[in-house]
Amino acid sequence: MMNDETEQFERRLSRQPLRQVPHKWRAEIMRAARDVQPACHASPVTRHSFSTFNHQLSTLLWPHPKAWAGLAAVWIFIFVLNFSMRDKSPVVAEKTSPPSPEVMVELKKQQRMFAELMGVSEPVSDADRQKVLSPKPRSERVEILTV
Amino acid sequence: MDIETEKRLALKARQITPPGASLRKMPGGLDIERLYDEHAQSLYAFLLNFTRNEADTRDLLQEMFVKLVREPKLLAGVREERAFLIRLAHNAAIDLMRRRGTRDRTKENFCAEMISPFAPTSDPDETIFRDELVEALGELPEEQRAVVHLKLWGGLTFEEIAAALEIPPNTAASRYRYGLDKLRGLLRPLYEEMKKAE
Repeated sequence: MMNDETEQFERRLSRQPLRQVPHKWRAEIMRAARDVQPACHASPVTRHSFSTFNHQLSTLLWPHPKAWAGLAAVWIFIFVLNFSMRDKSPVVAEKTSPPSPEVMVELKKQQRMFAELMGVSEPVSDADRQKVLSPKPRSERVEILTV
Repeated sequence: MDIETEKRLALKARQITPPGASLRKMPGGLDIERLYDEHAQSLYAFLLNFTRNEADTRDLLQEMFVKLVREPKLLAGVREERAFLIRLAHNAAIDLMRRRGTRDRTKENFCAEMISPFAPTSDPDETIFRDELVEALGELPEEQRAVVHLKLWGGLTFEEIAAALEIPPNTAASRYRYGLDKLRGLLRPLYEEMKKAE
């Protein structure tokens, strides 16, 4: 019963004749199409490759333009963040001042203490210090400590 | 102007086109005149139902055919010409609506320019019914209106509609069902009255 009613209603609607396309449009549209022809003959390769790219891009982006725009915005944000962080690190390095004389004296003192603890009476040169601090087999390390 | 006169004039316009001015085959073997003759009417009705504005419909139709001439490869390998052209028309119409939507959102403007996609008639009852139908169609969301139009007046199957609008066939069927139910609800009083009178 309900289906019959629906079908009747559908038939009633589909019987409504549509407005006809104005006859003069045909000539106008064909003229416009003819006018556009030379432009595409001028540089067929460039136009074709560009239009194909354009078409493919629009086909790709068309279904969810907002999502693509959002993704692009996120990437831009990430790049900006990345660049801003990269810029800061050298600045920090540049701004760091050389150690003050007090700090140098303190470091020297610590070096001397360390040398005494290691059993070396004279101040250790850089090469010696490296030798002392360089990893050695366990047995040799014990020997140094006992000395 | 009635339909018959329009048809006769259209036929005459086709006959008086000078042979030199004819486009015949375009680059890429595109026969734009055949495309126009075979599909312009259905595209026109579809676009008019979508835009409700004759000037916009004309612009969109011209834009489409110009695009086809400019890019004849678009039609290469297309099996369902009608479905492809409707998809092209649909996308162009959505683009226009978006552009228009941001420019003038006022409903008054839309109503002032509104034109019926149905042929005018001398029967007063039919005139009332068509006017109501136009108004009811205007109440439908765009996606339902497109499916209803293609099914009822385009004579397309749900598979063809799905291919044209790039949606699954089930979605096309459900949109049609929802749209038709809404139309029936809106037109019920008038429809019942007309049925009784018949």
